[in-house]
Amino acid sequence: MMKPLFAGTLLFLLAAIAPAADAIPDRPEKLEFPVLKYEPPRAVDHRVVLKSGPVAYVVPDRELPLVNLVIYVRTGQYNEPTGKEGLASLTGSLLARGGIKSKSAEELEERLAFLAAGLNASGGDTQATVSLNLLSKDLDEGLALLREALTAPRLQEDKLALFKQQSLQAMKQRNDDSADIEQRERRYLAYGENFWVNRHPTQASIESITRADIETFHRRWFHPKNFVVAASGDFDRAAMVAKLEKLFDSWPFQGEPARPVPSDKQFASPGIYFVDKDVNQGRVSLLLPGIRRDDPDYYAVEVMNDILGGGGFTSRIMNRVRSDEGLAYSAGTGFPGGVYYPLSFVAVFQSKSGTVAYATSLVVEEMQKIAVTPVTAEELETTKKSFIETFPGSFATKAQVAGALAQEEFTGRHAKTPEHFKSYRAKIAAVTAADVQRVAKKFLTPEKVVILVVGQKEAILKGHPNHPVKIESLAPRVVDVPLRDPLTMKAQPR
Amino acid sequence: MNRQFCISTLSVLLLAAAFVPALRAQKVPVTEHFLPNGLKVLLLERHDAPDVAGGWVAKVGSANERPGITGIAHLFEHMMFKGTPTIGTKDFKKDMEIIAAQERVREQMREEEAKLRAAWRRGEIDDPQKPENRTPRLRELGKEFQQLVEEQRKILVKNEFDRIYTAGGGSQMNAYTSYDVTAYFITVPANKLELFMWMESERILRPIFREFYAERDVVFEERRMRTDSTPTGKFAEAFESLFWESHPYSWPIIGWPSDISAITREQADDFYATYYAPQNLTLILVGDFDTKRTLALVEKYFGRIPKGKKPAPDVVTLEVAQNAEKRMNAEAETNPQVDILWHTVAFGHADSYSLSVLAQLLSTRTGRLYKNLVLGPQVSTETWAWQGSRKWAGQFNIGGECRDGRKPEEVEQAIYAELDKLKNEDVPAAELQKVKNNFAAGEYRRLANNHAILQQLMRAEGAGDWREVNDGGPRLQAVTAADVRRVANKYFTKENRAVAIFTRKAGAVTGDPDFAGLSDQQKPIARKVIAALKTDTNLAALKTRAQQLEEQLVKAETKTQPFLKLLRKKTQERIAELEKK
Repeated sequence: MMKPLFAGTLLFLLAAIAPAADAIPDRPEKLEFPVLKYEPPRAVDHRVVLKSGPVAYVVPDRELPLVNLVIYVRTGQYNEPTGKEGLASLTGSLLARGGIKSKSAEELEERLAFLAAGLNASGGDTQATVSLNLLSKDLDEGLALLREALTAPRLQEDKLALFKQQSLQAMKQRNDDSADIEQRERRYLAYGENFWVNRHPTQASIESITRADIETFHRRWFHPKNFVVAASGDFDRAAMVAKLEKLFDSWPFQGEPARPVPSDKQFASPGIYFVDKDVNQGRVSLLLPGIRRDDPDYYAVEVMNDILGGGGFTSRIMNRVRSDEGLAYSAGTGFPGGVYYPLSFVAVFQSKSGTVAYATSLVVEEMQKIAVTPVTAEELETTKKSFIETFPGSFATKAQVAGALAQEEFTGRHAKTPEHFKSYRAKIAAVTAADVQRVAKKFLTPEKVVILVVGQKEAILKGHPNHPVKIESLAPRVVDVPLRDPLTMKAQPR
Repeated sequence: MNRQFCISTLSVLLLAAAFVPALRAQKVPVTEHFLPNGLKVLLLERHDAPDVAGGWVAKVGSANERPGITGIAHLFEHMMFKGTPTIGTKDFKKDMEIIAAQERVREQMREEEAKLRAAWRRGEIDDPQKPENRTPRLRELGKEFQQLVEEQRKILVKNEFDRIYTAGGGSQMNAYTSYDVTAYFITVPANKLELFMWMESERILRPIFREFYAERDVVFEERRMRTDSTPTGKFAEAFESLFWESHPYSWPIIGWPSDISAITREQADDFYATYYAPQNLTLILVGDFDTKRTLALVEKYFGRIPKGKKPAPDVVTLEVAQNAEKRMNAEAETNPQVDILWHTVAFGHADSYSLSVLAQLLSTRTGRLYKNLVLGPQVSTETWAWQGSRKWAGQFNIGGECRDGRKPEEVEQAIYAELDKLKNEDVPAAELQKVKNNFAAGEYRRLANNHAILQQLMRAEGAGDWREVNDGGPRLQAVTAADVRRVANKYFTKENRAVAIFTRKAGAVTGDPDFAGLSDQQKPIARKVIAALKTDTNLAALKTRAQQLEEQLVKAETKTQPFLKLLRKKTQERIAELEKK
């Protein structure tokens, strides 16, 4: 049954909640709350350097009879050779779904399904993951299957053909949904045609991928030195460490050390970039060059972004564009710090064609305003409290604890800033209104703004009878972006 | 353990091993309480993380609406975030005066809007909602209303309800409206439980529907985003509407466009009085708290909400028995696919468990659809199957995307072939056990965190009874092969189904470079012509037209060339097709 793991917290609350007989105040600020003490998880409590190579974070959790194991692998799309785009993803699919030495793909699937176990693998952009989730009674069998998937995958040709076919067919839908078009073109504008994130699988690249390519990719990158492990669930810590040592012991092939992720991106020239698409709602993205998460301005930027548009209903852009004017259902901004290269700032919303121009002008106005006038004390407090008080939520389950610590290790922050979680709230608390204004001025530079619009160009240019603003007035030039051929990703002739 | 199966020794061992979790399957130890005003309270203590996931459901969804106010349940969900007398405004008295004045203007605007609808019926205007078609009086009133909005904005405290929770460390604050229920939820740090009590009881006790009319516009944008501008949104809406004949499930949750823009504040007030009375609500808390203390707080805060005058009315309209197969042919910007619906049973019906097991037999990578439609004869690339047990009625859905070169009708027939097997042969014991093992393991996986448990309780309570969270598992385990076969025969008949065939819209074909060169005016014309070509069998006339297009092309301006080239190409393709036959 469920065991109270934070019994201390409960007792503390029992003592602190005011008696229920008091009158109900007219405003919630008049309520008094007990102090909630919270200490984030520490790497040192869970980190194990395995003799077999990987660093593992091992977090027992006896509440439910389940075990969750995730192996993060230092590879991904950035390692795909030119002309073999799609290789990382196909490798992931085939490791888990292409059979193993002792079992055909079909036998493996059936066995896993009978055990209600999940064995999954995927090749992402800068990391691949292989994971196992199962009932703790089946742990040993599951680990044996996992070891085989990692060291002796069968990579069945028929499954490769199937996944290639599915991939080709999915490609055909690339221009169907305006949201997909927007997301794709946003990355072209923010990082450049030649940056690795914009090398998409094409018909030619998928067709060229062979079993030998997958085998090479697998043996090159999937070895214990490139692994970081997160384990949580129903096990004894020492016993789990022993099982992990066995899992990674005597690897049958030597791989290469991980390569650094390239960061040679290029941001587009300022302008309004139009993709003409016949839908009755325009999708808009406003882009600016961003930062890395180890930027000294990172915390001030996070606070600034939250006030501007990151904080949902509490943010300025949501208030202006949605609540005041009813121009959009969703509207907001993101300013994530990149791990390996600066990630762009983006403001997004969707509005009916006639009001796209007006709503865009409101967003630009808010971006300018926050750089000119200091944010209010109340805004600053609200945002800082939100970051600080929701912080424990990042570690609500033991799987989250193991995963978050493993990510710190994987992305190198543990090595550089091991006290990151411990110091996080104090760093947020230290951000001042002047900091917010300074970073807004530094990063929200209207002269660099790139605006992407996907929608009915003609109707959007026409605007709305109630709002005289023209979208062309918001940037120095209008650029037509032709739809890309979904199978080649080359621009289609107009 | 079920002993009626005739199985091999090996399987017996496997079953024995696999069944351990089901035997000690964990009940979710929820306690149920009622306040004197009728409010139902569900509490579940869990001390894993220092937070509380809290929410409440109003047992009202789009099924409780009627034509003319479709979408009101959902619009209401939006309005519940607009504040209270003390939250959301600096001057409550003035705020109320402005809201009253706004209503007076709106009353006159509605008269004008009725005139526009009349003009539209006579064919004098193309769209009563277009701003260009407004009457002069309506424009004037619009300006007047806008002034009142500006005046109100001066005393508004924007989204204050959200801001207070945000500053209090609230997260995952949201709400949803379904056909059956409206649910509101948030996670707060454990020490802010009383903040939750204050905020939620206040907004139930005295909500103020500020910015009502701007919010209707927001909902319109939500509709454009979810329904109008997605590749299949409009068609999915039309298909549901086609499927349900008499039942209120036939209109979309978000409402018909004409209704969204016609809903009045007064209707919203009536709706609130009927469906947001405490006897129609259930409050649910999951997390790090003490049940006894928390109950005292609940009584203090929620006990002050007066009981409603009368119970919310039942939905009395039953779906009529369907007496003919229905088919819809849609041309959409999507890969070709088929989607099939059958009328089945509502939440809690004994057959719903057998149907859920049947759905699971068809689903997943080791399920029958994937094996026999995707892996085997390769007619499909992706398939799905599920039983949807809603509160008032249910539906079963199966569908699949065509593999390149295969037709939706082929996928459809392959689906029927799988259903025929289920109708004619008992499911092998090991296959049934595999499905049950997954349901049993799911009993644990769903307990991952407070928020996930809250969501399940809200969903089950909204559909009829939170106890399903504990009772559903054993009922699924009790399903037999005979049950599966019986429900397969009972529900999967031709007369009981509706079929949607999706083909790719001509001209929307991706990778068709000719089409990308057309202007906005040319595209729809080209689509129409290409669509007409498909059924044109007059070979001689087609050849003449191809010749004419050839001649036109020589003289054509640059702008019209891609258009003519496309028509020529498509005409030639059709000629070739006919000649092959």
